[in-house]
Amino acid sequence: MAYSIVVLVKQVPDLNAVRVDKASGKPLLGDQLVLGAADAIAVEAALQLKEAHGGEVTVVSAGPPSVKDALQRALAMGADRALLAPIDQANALDTLALSRVLAGVLSGLTFDILITGQNSDDYESGQVPAQVAELLGLPQVSWVTKLVAVDGGLAIERDTEDGKQQVIAATPVVIMAADGLNEPRYPSLKGIMAAKKKPLETVEVAAVSATTDITWSDPAAPQKPPAGIIVQDKPAAEAVAELVAWLRTKNLA
Amino acid sequence: MSNGILIIAESHEGALRPASLELVTAGLAAKAAVGGSLTALLPGSNVAGPATELAGLGVDTVKVAEDPKLSAFTTDAWAAAVEAAVKALDPRVVIFAGTTSGRDLAPRLAARFGAPSAANVIAIGGSSDTIVATRPVLGGRVQTDVSLGGSLAFLSAGPGAFEKAVSTGVTAPVEALAVDLSGVSERVRVTGLAAADSGGSSSLASAEVVVAGGRGLKEPANFALVEELAGKLGGAVAASRAVVDAGWRSHHEQIGQTGKTVSPKLYIAVGISGAVQHNVGMQGSEAIVAINRDPDAPIFKIASFGIVGDLFEIVPELNRQLS
Repeated sequence: MAYSIVVLVKQVPDLNAVRVDKASGKPLLGDQLVLGAADAIAVEAALQLKEAHGGEVTVVSAGPPSVKDALQRALAMGADRALLAPIDQANALDTLALSRVLAGVLSGLTFDILITGQNSDDYESGQVPAQVAELLGLPQVSWVTKLVAVDGGLAIERDTEDGKQQVIAATPVVIMAADGLNEPRYPSLKGIMAAKKKPLETVEVAAVSATTDITWSDPAAPQKPPAGIIVQDKPAAEAVAELVAWLRTKNLA
Repeated sequence: MSNGILIIAESHEGALRPASLELVTAGLAAKAAVGGSLTALLPGSNVAGPATELAGLGVDTVKVAEDPKLSAFTTDAWAAAVEAAVKALDPRVVIFAGTTSGRDLAPRLAARFGAPSAANVIAIGGSSDTIVATRPVLGGRVQTDVSLGGSLAFLSAGPGAFEKAVSTGVTAPVEALAVDLSGVSERVRVTGLAAADSGGSSSLASAEVVVAGGRGLKEPANFALVEELAGKLGGAVAASRAVVDAGWRSHHEQIGQTGKTVSPKLYIAVGISGAVQHNVGMQGSEAIVAINRDPDAPIFKIASFGIVGDLFEIVPELNRQLS
């Protein structure tokens, strides 16, 4: 069967470009904004299902106009269309308020599978997919490392503390894509050119209101733990003897 | 008037999960800040053994929700059980363990109750009016303090962020909590559980000693050094993303942002430079030993004991001296 698939993505700062200011302890974000790493895996998963079974892939994101770049990236990978829910700053909203915005957009779409990344690269809370699933009344399957379409739904493997849990999920369902599910493709030049002609619409969102009773401080570096012992410029036998003595005083060896 | 702390414990094959022991400590921290009593809910099927263990860890009451639908984790059944417990007990804050299921449930229940939530928290303070939960963001280099007001809030503990609770010698009462799961449909059906590959995620997550190797090992065969060291210390073997991506080791051994988070008593990083994406997966370890030839490698900034030098001299010597 052909699938109608929606992928939720978030534009995030490039984690490799983030520095912490030594004086203030505040993070300095680079100018580079990218499609989240787990979100690229989610897009790839949707494209693979579409390529195997037919269907359509729609990518959805909420944020300022710059988010169009992340959506273009997904279109260049092969998604068919993109929807942008305009809000000022995704990270200025608490996750439940953001989830309500996204659920509002998604409730106007018909889909079989909603795929998201397990976590965003910046705030890393992994809360939005579960909250969107709850608000839409859909089941969620998280930490997905294998996703195969079968009769009656999707055969899934999840990475859990106890090993790989295998489940069969009926559609519609929310899938949270984890690292290891696939290796996201790079957009081809042809894909990048084609993406420019694909529909990227801005949708109307209902008035955004923050959830009451939650605020948070600006991120800052934690108090530094006391510096450890560093052994340098000593022969291996001597350095190792010091390490072994240290391990024994700590009852670690 | 809501009051008290509710923690949601988990067991597997007749034993509490290690993360549940950390959860009790998180619950005690919340109790110290918020006040009220600390109740532990243990959902599952045939969980009398772990319930008794839980009762001895310093909680005030253990509530057991037993149902066949709770034996294997599904979000729908577990969320329904926790929802029933929240309605029955009216807690000020509900805390989930730092597990895949805890991370699933906390936000879902928060959305169900329209309540604020924070994931992966590493410290809990504040007061009954405003609970303050600290959580790492941006790869763990910085933190934010989340303030949660109102009358109900949901948190999930960060893996390894809290010490494992130990038996206090006092046994709390264990009571059954009736939950009606007849309305829970099987939209997601569990069909099996494949134990992770040899020395897989489960043993890595609970190992007291983890020895991890990185690109400094130069080639896959040299992982034998890491394996020998792990063997001497009774530990598990892990790997950095670089060597997993290079195909030297399998993904289930990968530590870091896109792999496993571990917090053993001892973590030894061999030939790992300590990129932030790696460190976020192990910086909760009690003791960190780093062996690397580059004195400027970031791993030395978080190491409790570091040796700057050639790992091909140091690790064989370490294996010898530990014999």
